[in-house]
Amino acid sequence: MKVRSVREFLEEAKSESFDLDGFLEKVVRSCKKIQEEYSPFITIVEKPSKSKNRGKLPYLPISVKDNICTKGIQTTAGSKILEGYIPPFDATCVENVLREGGLIIGKTAMDEFGFGTFTTNCYYSIPKNPIDKRRVCGGSSGGAACLTLAADFPHIAIAQSTGGSIACPSSFTGTVGLTPTYGLVSRFGLIDYANSLDKIGCIGKEVYDVALLLSIIAGYDEKDSTSINKEKTDYTKFLEENVKGLKVAIPREYFEGVDQEISQRVWDGIKILERIGIEYEEVSLPLTRYALPSYYIIAMAEASTNLAKFCGLRYGLSLELKGNFNEYFSEVREVGFGEEAKRRVMLGTFVRMAGYRDAYYLKALKVRKLIINEFKKVFSKFDAIVAPTMPIVAPRFEDVEKLEPVEVYMMDVLTVPPELAGLPNISIPCGYVRNLPVGMHLIGDHFQEGKILKIAYNFEREWRK
Amino acid sequence: MNVKIGLEIHCRIETKSKMFCSCPSDVEKARPNEFTCPICLGFPGSKPKANIEAIKKALMIAKALNCKISEVVLFSRKSYFYCDLAKNYQISQFEMPLGRNGYVELSNKKIRIKEIHIEEDPAKLVHVGKSINEAEYVLIDYNRSGIPLVEIVTEPDFSSTKEVREFLSKLSSILEHLGVYDPMKEASMRVDANVSIEGGERIEIKNITGFANVEKALSYEIARQYSLIKTGVKVERETRHWDEKMKATVSLRKKEVEEDYGYIFDPDLVKIETTGLIKEIENRMPELPDERIKRFVRDYGILEEQAKVIILVDKKLADFFEECAKIYKDYRKLARWVVVDLLKCLNWNNIRIGQSKVEKEKFVKLLEMIDRKVITERLAKEIIKEFVATGKDPEKIVEEKGLQPVGKEDIENVVELVLKENQKAVEDYMNGNEVALNFLVGVALKKLKTRGDPKLIKSLLIEKIKSLNS
Ligand SMILES: [Zn+2]
Repeated sequence: MKVRSVREFLEEAKSESFDLDGFLEKVVRSCKKIQEEYSPFITIVEKPSKSKNRGKLPYLPISVKDNICTKGIQTTAGSKILEGYIPPFDATCVENVLREGGLIIGKTAMDEFGFGTFTTNCYYSIPKNPIDKRRVCGGSSGGAACLTLAADFPHIAIAQSTGGSIACPSSFTGTVGLTPTYGLVSRFGLIDYANSLDKIGCIGKEVYDVALLLSIIAGYDEKDSTSINKEKTDYTKFLEENVKGLKVAIPREYFEGVDQEISQRVWDGIKILERIGIEYEEVSLPLTRYALPSYYIIAMAEASTNLAKFCGLRYGLSLELKGNFNEYFSEVREVGFGEEAKRRVMLGTFVRMAGYRDAYYLKALKVRKLIINEFKKVFSKFDAIVAPTMPIVAPRFEDVEKLEPVEVYMMDVLTVPPELAGLPNISIPCGYVRNLPVGMHLIGDHFQEGKILKIAYNFEREWRK
Repeated sequence: MNVKIGLEIHCRIETKSKMFCSCPSDVEKARPNEFTCPICLGFPGSKPKANIEAIKKALMIAKALNCKISEVVLFSRKSYFYCDLAKNYQISQFEMPLGRNGYVELSNKKIRIKEIHIEEDPAKLVHVGKSINEAEYVLIDYNRSGIPLVEIVTEPDFSSTKEVREFLSKLSSILEHLGVYDPMKEASMRVDANVSIEGGERIEIKNITGFANVEKALSYEIARQYSLIKTGVKVERETRHWDEKMKATVSLRKKEVEEDYGYIFDPDLVKIETTGLIKEIENRMPELPDERIKRFVRDYGILEEQAKVIILVDKKLADFFEECAKIYKDYRKLARWVVVDLLKCLNWNNIRIGQSKVEKEKFVKLLEMIDRKVITERLAKEIIKEFVATGKDPEKIVEEKGLQPVGKEDIENVVELVLKENQKAVEDYMNGNEVALNFLVGVALKKLKTRGDPKLIKSLLIEKIKSLNS
């Protein structure tokens, strides 16, 4: 059966004769089947609320990563400590989707609070890679990428990234993952991992899909102070623009330690870019190696304060009231948090303690500034940076289990630098290694989503030929 | 032995909404947890948004306390686990407090202000049944969660409770003049005090509410530490709590190390430049107590001491004085009556002028009745008691109590009656006991319900007694 593209579907859904109930029934049935097969969901919405307004996304099924609040629908951020939690409000991005007529069909699986690279650090379901069920989907937006690939109905996923959580699973599943500039999409309603790094973005089957959804969810929101006051933009209008004469930078450091075959596929991709008129030049980004430690220090410092609010008092997991509140809080957190969450709370608390604060937390903030400057220098001469998204292809579950925490953190070495700098980036499939998809990473200057989208779109068209 | 006291004063800033959400901040009459939302309850996914009005008001305070003002407002997360914190961190300021290095001038010294910063109030805890150390459980009222506060930190410049009292009353007056503070609201000012006596370590007394309690807690604590030192016991660092019921400070915890709040910048809030805001508030800065005292002395010709009392006790009292001064021109008399009698009666009733039913027209009428000799000053001092308690028209009080003025004839009749009824005292006086005469004057005045000039009564008495003799 041919799966309709989102673009085709939206044309159909505009028609008065569109059979919404029949469509919905099919979608829900399909979701359940996919869940049995690959388990991308934490929650499937049996009866999605239908907007009266058909808007720009009429009846389009949208899944939402489970760390984004949906009014009336369980939202757990993948943690036991929020099991059964029903938010009293919608995240701004969800509001925007509903206003444009989209249907929220479910909440997708993730690593607990986003703490992971494979979506295997899960209290709920662990999604399996639809390409090879023995392999992971990547993380932490693994459920979103899994569903995007597996869906036999038109669908776009709202995902979220802190240090590569959109790009990584897109790369492992051969989907398109767009992470916008920090502040472009409101974070209101996002359950925080690291507030100065968290970005809400999208995963779709093709570039058009993510450009479309970004146009809906991006925009100023007074409820998020870090939201950037910019005019609403239709990002799909950039897609058809000419890319001839654009210049991309290929940073040497991003190919070090990368699987040889993956490097080869990305270089194949760069040759395709060249074919459509984009020039490239190799550059060096020497600060790259400082990005990972700085990122983890900032992310964990912020995460450890964000997680403090989960103490069994007002929402989420609660236990029998015993002992004084310190004993009670500790017990709830002991039971409710997974091992990785506890590790990050402890590390994050350590780096901001008096005596260590200057050496770790404050220094990491300084390094972030230097890294942003280094990127800015590149963007004064280039339109985008091209690199592999991940140093590996989707690994097997059993191989992931063998990794030490630090080895897991190392997997983010390519996605973290642009994410630390708040730069927009897209991962698009550019080939296969041993039948597993390889992602090519396009990184743009702040607010240059339009530019990387049009490169990605033109590339996608050429690559498919 | 030297006493050193430093204060940390948490003061509510009066604003329409809370510091980081749009919940109303006037929660006095609200049901518990009525004025709350996902932000002030710390729900996952909610984000704070800084209240610019609160920042402006805090800037006014920093300016009024002569602080050097920071170029940007930056918020930090102060992390500690406590059940009154909705997020288990408090949004506060750390790296760059709003103001630094200010001072407040007292009559004999300057108290240095180390810093002033903005923060959010935690929720209110209700310890059910017993005291803080013994309660079985607590109830949490999040109405207070997120109300804007400023924390004003002084250097340890106080050497007596008297100085602390003077400082707090001046600070309160400054804040009232700025229109950012309502002293009548519950827990609108809370004080943590550090007290140390030469030879001992520093003791922190947490969360004292109300001026009177600050003084009591400090006096108690100083006495306690003195007696420890005298008996050779070492005063060790600890945190204590003022127990209002026991009228004593009680140990909360021994303090071995500085608490570590693991401050990070709050990444949900953005930097706010102060340059523009400062320009705005400069136009809004009202007359402050020091200037107002000078103006009262200059324009009304009253004593500086009187002006200080009127202005520092309660801004509304000063406003009342000025309102009265518009319609009553004997300013000195007005000042005397405000400072002595009006204030005494207000204190007696344990209310502030703003809570009382006292109206300026009626108060001025009372003074005019004295001027017109309708009543004596002495009688007026009686009438004002009922006037302050009830707000009744003084003329009405006079009428109801039958205190209309008396003529000479009435006085003569009373004097005669008194002489008749107090033969013994008359004899005593005739035998040279002057005190007996005063007694007789008193009896006569009582019979006249304090009307009539005591001097006149006295001379009439002497006259009559003389005529009796002859
Ligand atoms: Zn609120």
